[in-house]
Amino acid sequence: MDIVIVGSGKVGFSLAEQLVKEEHNVTVVDSDEEALRRAGDQLDIMTVRGNGVSAATLREAGVDRADLLVAATNADEVNMVCCLTAKDLGAKYTIARIRNPEYTSSVGELRRNLKIDMAINPENTTAVEISRLLRFPSAANIETFCRGKVELMGFRLQEGDFLVDAPLHALPDKVKKLSLLFCAVERGGEVSIPNGSFVPKAGDKLYMVGRPDSLDQFFRQLGRYAPKVKQVFLVGGGKVSMYLAAILDHLGIRLKIIEHNEERCRVISERFPRVTVICGDGTDSELLESENLTASDAFVALTDRDEDNLIISLYAMQQGIKKVITKCNRQNYAGIVRSLGLDSVISPKFVTASNIVHVVRGLQNSQGSVMNSLHRIAGGGAEAMEFTVGPGTRHLSVPLKDLKLRPGVLLAVIVRDNNIIIPQGSSSLQEGDRVIIIARGGGVLDLNDIYGAEPNLGGAGA
Amino acid sequence: MNIKLVLKLVGRVLLLEAAALVLPLAVALLYREDLLPFLLSIAIVAAVGLALSALPARQQFFTREGFVAVGLIWIFTGLVGALPFLFSGWFATPMDAIFESCSGFTTTGSTILTDIEALPKGILFWRAFTHWLGGMGVLVLATAIVPKLGIRSHYLTQAETPGPVFSKLVPKQSQTSKILYTMYFALTTLEVLCLKIAGMPLYDSFIHAFSTAGTGGFSNRNASVGAYNSVPIDVVITIFMLLFSINFAVYFLILTRKWRDALASDELKFFLGVVAGATAILTVSNLGVYAGLWESLRYTVFQVASIISTTGFGTADFVLWPQFSQMIIVLLMFCGASAGSTGGGMKCSRVLILLRSIRREVHRITHPRSVEVVKLDGKLVSEATLHTLLVFLGAYVITVFAAALVISLDGQSFAVSFSAALTCVSNVGPGLEAIGPSGNFAAFSGLSKGVMSLCMIVGRLEIFPILVLLSPSTWRRT
Repeated sequence: MDIVIVGSGKVGFSLAEQLVKEEHNVTVVDSDEEALRRAGDQLDIMTVRGNGVSAATLREAGVDRADLLVAATNADEVNMVCCLTAKDLGAKYTIARIRNPEYTSSVGELRRNLKIDMAINPENTTAVEISRLLRFPSAANIETFCRGKVELMGFRLQEGDFLVDAPLHALPDKVKKLSLLFCAVERGGEVSIPNGSFVPKAGDKLYMVGRPDSLDQFFRQLGRYAPKVKQVFLVGGGKVSMYLAAILDHLGIRLKIIEHNEERCRVISERFPRVTVICGDGTDSELLESENLTASDAFVALTDRDEDNLIISLYAMQQGIKKVITKCNRQNYAGIVRSLGLDSVISPKFVTASNIVHVVRGLQNSQGSVMNSLHRIAGGGAEAMEFTVGPGTRHLSVPLKDLKLRPGVLLAVIVRDNNIIIPQGSSSLQEGDRVIIIARGGGVLDLNDIYGAEPNLGGAGA
Repeated sequence: MNIKLVLKLVGRVLLLEAAALVLPLAVALLYREDLLPFLLSIAIVAAVGLALSALPARQQFFTREGFVAVGLIWIFTGLVGALPFLFSGWFATPMDAIFESCSGFTTTGSTILTDIEALPKGILFWRAFTHWLGGMGVLVLATAIVPKLGIRSHYLTQAETPGPVFSKLVPKQSQTSKILYTMYFALTTLEVLCLKIAGMPLYDSFIHAFSTAGTGGFSNRNASVGAYNSVPIDVVITIFMLLFSINFAVYFLILTRKWRDALASDELKFFLGVVAGATAILTVSNLGVYAGLWESLRYTVFQVASIISTTGFGTADFVLWPQFSQMIIVLLMFCGASAGSTGGGMKCSRVLILLRSIRREVHRITHPRSVEVVKLDGKLVSEATLHTLLVFLGAYVITVFAAALVISLDGQSFAVSFSAALTCVSNVGPGLEAIGPSGNFAAFSGLSKGVMSLCMIVGRLEIFPILVLLSPSTWRRT
């Protein structure tokens, strides 16, 4: 695909790097010649010098023929204008980085009015990622859909789990009540989509998709849930901390935030009355000890400096805290950091870039219809896609039991007005819904591709 | 220095050149000539290529490796091209064969041959084909057709594509290279057709089209293009020499229908202006040599196009022109063609930027606190680019004089020694006096020929890759 990235900063560069790896034609626009030279030297891309809001610059970068424009400069307003101009020039899809919390509440209207197809907030994305790590200390392969409203995760069944050797339709009621669905199973390298009569065996890798809190519940019932994180210790009170505090506060997790700027402390305290805010130097071990660091279940280092984050994380780990999460923007030294024992290192620019790459993969697959994202799961054996139901989607308002889906395709989740619906035979699709489709082996490029050859015959629901 | 990866890269390019040698082999087969020179060359080149490309190497590749690779590849290429010449037995010494090959690949077009027409057709075809390969560049070709040649392949093509700033046509380097070669191939084919229609034999059309496309200057006739004494042929070749000395990015803009951007190029305007101006002055200045304005124009415009494009074809012997005319020819040799074309010389864009910096400097002396930027095509030329450019121009002049110094050991006149050095570094072909359009380079010593061969490569790669290759700091471990 032809992709134009405006802004060769941390996110822009990281994104360009990942997109070049996936064989896209990438053009980077920036006004700083030095940043462009660095990017052009290291990556197989074209560079255009100029301001991203200027139509002439954008045209020179080939925006008129671009499949995607990503505006990732450090100014939200520039990104917005850039997307608007690009859309007018003929860019097919636009993504803007909008990070100012002031815009967050009105981001929906902004997106509509400025024709931005997707707004991405690196700090919020990072916070969501951290909260996931906090909730599932051992889970691997977590993918999120619909801005974190739906999650998909895989886990390996062990001997003695209550799921083993019982068909899925005979699950206990307490599981059936949960908002989740078993959407794929990997057994001996084969990927299949389980139905009600499927009998799980120990050693299977099961994938399930559903509401984050339902997934929590399920793991608790499975007895696989690590002790719930109750008290989180957070160093640094920047934007990521604010977003993370909002998420954790909502989940009822107690928080202690250390921030050295008094003004900032006041702001945090004002917004989150339940959070304990300490004004002081988070890198001072004495302060950490006096604030009873060891009593916390988890420790998150979110200061502006990578070095500080790494050092205090090591300290926290040494103090015996099981869950330590470190923000570190530099990727180059990830190996060294891991060898020190810090395995939860988060890089905001990398997380943001990866999120955009997921969207790009989706765009690449969807030919005209709106595929919002695509994740490869089960070692690439299946694809999980998020679509928006549009006016062109067939069989709207037809109950699913009257429709026949293609074999190997599962309609896993419907998200309607922030509600998560696990489809039943009586459910139907409405325009504006977001749906998550699981397809074995891929091949679904458009939402209409999920329907089988003869509709209105069988009664295959979900 | 990751020399193993560099050699591996050299090996891959050698394999490509072994494949390129099949074409003259086919020509030799067609004319029932001796196939041995080509078969032997292919065997040797392929064997060395296979051995080198099988080297195990780490994937670390930085700017330094890129420059060394380009320098080494071009030196190897010069040697590869010499093999068929050497095996054919028509060249007295190995140095002569190397000189002819370097002159071919670097699109210089200087020759040590006295009687060209006596040579077999296969050898002459290879001689012209080296122009075509060297014109757009062997590395550009390699990135176009060898998938995943190596990471950061733009380091390689950047060093091979002439001009002060290198810009891609499309984001992917391999795609850019493909587009360049497609346009190059299309224009060459068009010229073959035009020459055939203008009355040239088909074989000669190919030879002259290859030479024009690479802006080289090898002909299969002793009297060069003058041998045909045909106005249509002169016109076709003049037009194509000018076409091949225009930045290929301009053609890409035209193909993508950005007419305004294409015509707004400062360099294009400057280039056409210099051609028009030089033609006008020379036509008048040469009136004494030719019978009438029309004849003077005919021979002058061909020679101007031939020299500024750094091709070096001849229809007239400019050595017989007045001194003033010859001085203008020397100036045109310095100036050269456009950046991003197949031509040599300092390049019009550099000369233009130099002139603008001089104007700025003068302005700065009269207004010491003034701040002024240098622009090209309405875009700012950064101080860093400007700095590199001025250093390049300095290095260019020093190279010419240093080479002239060594060549002067042969005891030839100043005009011969100096013009030999200039014509080699600028990749033009003919020089003044004894090495003019009707002369040749056979009389020089082996040392001079070696220095000139190196100068041609230095000029083709725009100096720095060879300097990096020869610099001790490149090879130091720390």
